[in-house]
Amino acid sequence: MNKTFAVAKWEFLEKIKTKAFVISMIVTPIIIIAFAILPTLLSTQEETSTKVIGIIESTNTYFPLIKERTASKKLENNLPRYILINLNDPNKTNKELLSQADKEMFNNILNSCLLIKNALTDSVSIQLRSKNTVNFRDIRFFEQTFNKIRVGLKLQSVGIDTSLINYIESDIDITPIKISKEGKESESDFLIVFFSSFIFIILLMMMILSSGGMLIRSLLEEKSNRLIEILVSSCTPQQLLTGKILGLSALGLFQMAIWSLIGIALVGSATVPATVFEHLPLMLLYFLAGFIFYTALFVGFGSIVTTEQEAQQLTGYISMILILPIVFAVTAIQNPNSTIIHALSYFPLTTPSIMLLRLNVAPVPFYEIVTTMGILIISILITIYLTAKIFRVGILSYGKRPSLKELVNWFREK
Amino acid sequence: MLFVENLVKEYKNITAVDDISFSVSPGKIFGLLGPNGAGKTTTIRTVLNIIKPTSGTITFEGRPISNDFYNLIGYLPEDRGLYKKSKVIDVVLYFASIKNIDRQAALSGLNFWLKKLGIENYRDKKIEELSKGNQQKIQFIISVLHDPKLLILDEPFSGFDPINQQIIKEAILTFVSSGKLIILSTHQMETAEKLCSEILLLNKGKEVRKGNLASIKKNFGVNNVKIEFEGEPSFITSMPEVVSSDIYSTYAEVHLKEDVKPADFLSKISQKLSVSHFSGIESTLNKIFIDLINKSNNQ
Repeated sequence: MNKTFAVAKWEFLEKIKTKAFVISMIVTPIIIIAFAILPTLLSTQEETSTKVIGIIESTNTYFPLIKERTASKKLENNLPRYILINLNDPNKTNKELLSQADKEMFNNILNSCLLIKNALTDSVSIQLRSKNTVNFRDIRFFEQTFNKIRVGLKLQSVGIDTSLINYIESDIDITPIKISKEGKESESDFLIVFFSSFIFIILLMMMILSSGGMLIRSLLEEKSNRLIEILVSSCTPQQLLTGKILGLSALGLFQMAIWSLIGIALVGSATVPATVFEHLPLMLLYFLAGFIFYTALFVGFGSIVTTEQEAQQLTGYISMILILPIVFAVTAIQNPNSTIIHALSYFPLTTPSIMLLRLNVAPVPFYEIVTTMGILIISILITIYLTAKIFRVGILSYGKRPSLKELVNWFREK
Repeated sequence: MLFVENLVKEYKNITAVDDISFSVSPGKIFGLLGPNGAGKTTTIRTVLNIIKPTSGTITFEGRPISNDFYNLIGYLPEDRGLYKKSKVIDVVLYFASIKNIDRQAALSGLNFWLKKLGIENYRDKKIEELSKGNQQKIQFIISVLHDPKLLILDEPFSGFDPINQQIIKEAILTFVSSGKLIILSTHQMETAEKLCSEILLLNKGKEVRKGNLASIKKNFGVNNVKIEFEGEPSFITSMPEVVSSDIYSTYAEVHLKEDVKPADFLSKISQKLSVSHFSGIESTLNKIFIDLINKSNNQ
């Protein structure tokens, strides 16, 4: 046992000093913070400059109405959000007007141009033309404004009362409320749920990949310079293996502790909403179990590979498995009870990340937590058992990666 | 004492070690010799308990080899390398800790050896900052720091300059006098000749020759002659009296058949060469090695 701890201590202390670790320690939170803050920033960020928009519409019906409705839209600095210019000229055809408007957009006189064709007929169509991709909020705004005016005009023409028209026009927004068992209510924001789960999955991914990569590299180093022979002539392969897994898990815990501190600091400063950490204890449990599981896998595979290239290939495959839940993330959030999400919860490679997602999205029944955790723990034990077998033979085989058949033989060897 | 009896290690298609037996006693250096692929490393690994033999027994101090002996064995592998990014002191203390040496003892041992090998300034340097020779010294320290009872050295001198070879050689000789069991595996026959008193010569996993080096040499070297001459010597190779020969432009070493008298041989070659020096020599281990391995390959 002493030797196991000696190995664990060495792995922990040596890895913690490496540049790769220090970098991932710093870079990861930066990425996470970016993920956590950007959506909030993006959705609240106001534009600072007024947009000049030309309108081409031969009947001249819409221009004054649109202008009336945009007049109240102000930017933060109290400048008007839009300035509308009527480009109509009865002496010119639509085509001429359009080419002139296009020219002005290229000369930066206009930002965009609204072209309304066949106004006041049923085949009315509308384009928002621009040099750059148009901001989706501008599109949304003009779409809604135009449609309200269109419907309003129609209703007016059939003699509906103006107050009724106003009533029809007014929108009521839905406030989504997510309830939890204790009867607590919280405003559930799709973005917050999405990103808070994502933060954990991405953290898990980055930790697994960075420490897995370190692990494989150090195993390769030990193999290529035969240090492994000194090691296994000093302690059993099991002690070495367990020591390595322990050391790396400690490293993972340490990393998590530091990151949690950063997280708590952020909650304190209210940059990240506290709801993110509602299921923290359970999430940390899945997180840690997932980390240990993948570390054990990496040790097993690391003892088979013989070159840096093979190691990279392998890390590639494993990261693909890790990314899989991200592909399913949207489904999981939209429909946390779908069969595929349930199935993936019970597949050990994806259990940690899928459960990290589910915990935040919808209440997970207790029996599911117990069974998935059970599966994960059993998988960890089986992996360590098999890995120990591969490890013992694998670390002493040089030059050639074993075939599947040889691997099976290794398992059988006493 | 270390006893290896009827050791066999079979891999799927090849028999790496085929029924070899030997014993190593304290106070002597045991030479494990043989060409590449002879089975030396496999033999060493079974003694280290890294791999299990297919059959045969290995006993050390009267007990079969097992994990209990980890802390009693020191091993210097042929391929050298250490954790490059780590400090000398950290690496040495790590290996000491997995040999169950406490930190204080390991530190004083480290200081002793660093001083003895003349590299005490490197204690807090990173491994990669050390020259290749100095890295090897660190590796040597790692293999002996826990004061092992059995020391297995695989090519301990390769990569060292003559001065450092001398230093390492002296260190090894102090172990001999302190009664350690030492197995030396090497290709350098000159070194083995000077250091080993018992040898086992392996080829293709099989024992070729075993025993006391002095008596092996005595039995082998009876009919070897050294000639210095002028003239064209190539005819010597095809003479019926000659078993093998090593011929240079003015110098030759010739192994004669057992029943050939050196004097007769001299008079025969004197007809064609002008001989300036002729004497009997004892075979070098190098010569014995080449002859025996060639003979065993031809069988």
